[in-house]
This record gives sequence, structure tokens and C-alpha cells, in this order.
Amino acid sequence: MMVLQAVLVSLFIYLGAIGSIVGNTIGWYCLGRPLIASFVTGLIMGDVTTAMAVGVPLQIAYLANVTPGGAVAWDLSYATYVGTFTAIALKGTVTSTEALIGLAFAGAGIGGVIGGTMWNVHYALDVVLNRWAGKIAQEGDTKKMWMPNVLGGQAIGFLCRFVPALIVLLGINAAGSATGGISIPAWLTTGLTAFGSMMAALGMGIILSFLVKKKVHWAIFMGGFVLATYFGLSAMAIAVVAIIVAAIVYTVMTKKESDGEVA
Amino acid sequence: MAEKQVSKKTLRKSFNNWFFWNGCSQQAESMLGMAFGQAMAPVIEELYETKEDRAAALQRHITLFNTESQVGSIVNGICIGMEEQLANGTGSAEMISETKVALIGPTSAIGDSLWVATIIPLLLTVCIAIASSLTSAPWVGAVVYMLVYPIGTYFLSWYLFKLGYKAGLEGISRFMASGKLDKLMNTATILGLIVVGGLTASFVTCTLNIDIKAMQQVFNSETGEYVQQLVSVFNLDNLLNSVFPKIVPLGLTLVVYRLYAKKHWSPIAIMGLILVLAAALTAIGYIPNVGAFA
Repeated sequence: MMVLQAVLVSLFIYLGAIGSIVGNTIGWYCLGRPLIASFVTGLIMGDVTTAMAVGVPLQIAYLANVTPGGAVAWDLSYATYVGTFTAIALKGTVTSTEALIGLAFAGAGIGGVIGGTMWNVHYALDVVLNRWAGKIAQEGDTKKMWMPNVLGGQAIGFLCRFVPALIVLLGINAAGSATGGISIPAWLTTGLTAFGSMMAALGMGIILSFLVKKKVHWAIFMGGFVLATYFGLSAMAIAVVAIIVAAIVYTVMTKKESDGEVA
Repeated sequence: MAEKQVSKKTLRKSFNNWFFWNGCSQQAESMLGMAFGQAMAPVIEELYETKEDRAAALQRHITLFNTESQVGSIVNGICIGMEEQLANGTGSAEMISETKVALIGPTSAIGDSLWVATIIPLLLTVCIAIASSLTSAPWVGAVVYMLVYPIGTYFLSWYLFKLGYKAGLEGISRFMASGKLDKLMNTATILGLIVVGGLTASFVTCTLNIDIKAMQQVFNSETGEYVQQLVSVFNLDNLLNSVFPKIVPLGLTLVVYRLYAKKHWSPIAIMGLILVLAAALTAIGYIPNVGAFA
């Protein structure tokens, strides 16, 4: 059963990777996002509760990990599927949700590095396909144009993604059974907890670098911050306030422009 | 001779080839070139009869091309429009190739900054908000994203593809100059900043773990005696939080921002720093009489 689950999760690691057969919109930008990856892993492993408990912090920490320009040093799909799988497989070794989150981050670290390496291998191997494509183009064979791209690209992609993923997951799984009944010492749990909860700053800090373009933007950011601290609003409530503010700002901006035209 | 025109069915086929398989064979030599060639193949088949014409057209479309593919579908549309004109005797093959190369920069920039770095994180933050508010069913947040993002993007990408085909290069330039895009971008930024502010306060946790204790005479009301007991005399985290709640997590977030935006650290290096900091702060917490856990 565990082997079958590992195979299924590995399959999704491949599908959620950049340039998989389902396309980047469904793959990398959807199945590869931590929030979704955790949910899918939870469904496969039959533990959606644990999966979502680690999925939300993983998503926040890696929120800014969008890899514009296609330079992948850190493979998000690998990171979060492996991270969630680790948390579920080693659930018995820790007692708190916070420590589970720390475990998930440790797993994500291992997965992300392996995935990044495999992406570079995939990227290098694909170069040979250009010869094949060149030959087909030379013959003007429009019907065969899909072969180097989809068939060739995906044969290489699947091998680079699925096989290493399966090996990693089976390894974690073996570690899970070997450590059955053993619990991680308290100091390590505390450290993992601290790491997991500090990682959220990574996502927030980097996303701010995308968003902040003027000084006044810091004031708007602090507005959202104190809505949570001083006013105790939930994330959802703050999102609703944000939508209202954005709607007002948009209207004012549009109005200013049309007034300007009249004058 | 009748005007050659690409049929609706072929347009859809070309778009689907691009939308689903644009990243299939990405590499350093031609980037998305092979995928672009595959997307153009049905169009080329319909527009050109002879083997030579088809070969020439295929060869000019498997060369180097790169973009943010979801927004970049507009380039496919523009190229199809130009190929159609060429098949009818206007324009030139060089012009098509030049236009394609010229569009790599702007479409990548808009796609990456507007779609990838703004819309995706924004939608994700809203879905995180849903997931963390619905404590009994946090998976709803994931399901909402799984439905909204792919379907919304498919329609946007198809719309841009058709826009490129119909309006051509000139039409696109006019739209870009209208300033509509900037206004949408500004609004999205404000929405994003407020939500990110809230998420920072709700999710980033960082404690300095300094809690100095000292032996003091404590009155035990049950026994009515004074006893010697270790008592916290200085808790740094409590002090800082009473000055400004969550100031330490805020500081950590700003440090990450500075390292990434100003010092150009890579995310992995920042992650390493966070790991070291977490270890150090945990160690502080275990120092006898000084740490919060000791």
C-alpha cells in the first residue's frame, strides 16, 4: 500500500514539475503549488488533516517561489510533495503540529535540492531534441512536429522526475518505519518548530520585493499588519477589507483620469 | 485566387498545442522553440501547400523563442496573423522572425511581473486565507485555487491569443499605451500589500527566547510562608510585544526583504540563514537561567 502511495505521489511530482505533459498552467502553477500539492498528497495518503496543517505554512514560506524566467534552483513541486509526504510518514515521531511543520520543511529542503538538480539534468538533455526537430522541419513534415517536443521532451522529463522522486519517497518511508515508536528529542522538536515558523518570513519578505514600488506601499503593508495585531482580524477578514480598499482606489484612479480629460 | 484564411478549428488546435505543451522540451539552445514550432504546425499545414514552403515556415518557427507562456500566447496570435498575410503575398519571412524575437523581452516582462509575480501569489494568499479561516475544512482553499486558476488562465490566454491574431502588432501597442494595464497592476498591488501585511502578522513567528530568571523570595499563600523560587525577572519577547505586537516577526520579514531585494541573496541562502538563526535562538532558549525553555 505504501509503495503504491509513493508511486502516486511521485507521479504528481512529475505532473507538478515545470514543463510536464499537462502544461505549466495545470502543472507547475497549480499542481506544483504547495497548497495544492499538500492537498493531493493528503488525499493519496488518506490524511488530509495533517497534509493541510503543513500545506498552509509551506505555501506561505514558498509564496514568492514563482521562478520568473524559468531559472530553477529550487524545485517547488519536489519540495512540497516530499515535504508533506515526510510529515505524514514520520507523524509518529513528534507530538505537536508545529514540530510536524518543521519536519515538512526539512523534507522540503531535501526534495527541493534534488528536484533542482534533476531540472538542470532535464534542461541539458533536452538540447539533443533540437536535431530531431530540425530534421522534421527540413522535411516540412507538419504532422510529426509534436514528436520531439512532446514525446522526446516528456520521455526525458518523466525519467528525470518520477524515478528520483520514487527513490526519495521510498527512502523516507523506510525511515518512517525504522523510527516507528521512537520520538524525536524535545530540543530538536523545539528547533524544528522555530525553523518552520520563521520560514514564513521567507515568503513574505520576497513577495514584498515584488510588490513594494513606492514608499507609501510600506504604509499600506503596515495597515494589513496592524489589522491582524491590533484589531485581531482573521486572514479572510483582512482579504475582504483589502478587496474593498482596492475597489475604492481603482474607482478613484479612474475618476481622476476622466476628470482630467474634461479639464 | 481566394484569400487564404486560418480556420477557427486550426486556431484552437494551435492554441491548445501551445497552452498545454509550451514547456515540454525547454532547453538552453532554442528555449521554447520546438514547442512554438509544434503550435505553428497546424497553421502552416493549412496555409502552405508545397513541401518547400512548409519546410521554410517550420524552420523559422523552431528557432530560439522564449516568453512567459501564459501571457505570451499573444505572440502566437500575432505570428499566425503575419503568416496568413505572408501566404497571401504581403509581408516577409524576415519580418515574422524579427517580430518574434522583438516580442520575447516585453511579453516575458509583462507575464512575469503581472501574471506570475502578482496574480498567482495574490490568488494563493486569498486561498491561504480561506484555508486558515475554515479550520474544519482547510482543503476548500486548495480546491478553489485548483478550479479558479487553470480555468481563468485558459480563458485569458485564449483571449490574448485571439487578440494577437486579430489586432496584430499595432493593435497590441495601442492597448499597451492606453495605461489600462498600469491601473490594474496598481490596484492588484494594493490588494496584495494589505493581505501580505495580514499574513505576515498571522503566520511569521519568531521569538528571541531570552527570559532571565533569578532566585527571589516568593510568598506562598497556601502555606503562608516565604519560599526561595526561580522567577522570571526579564522576558525580552514579552517586553518587545508590549511595545509593538509581533515586532520581531516583522523585523525578520524586513531583513529577508532587504537581503533579497537590496543585497541580492538567493532564496536558498536566505533559507540557510533562517536555519542558522533558528538553531541559535533555540540554543539561547536552553541556557540555564537565561533561556525561555530552561
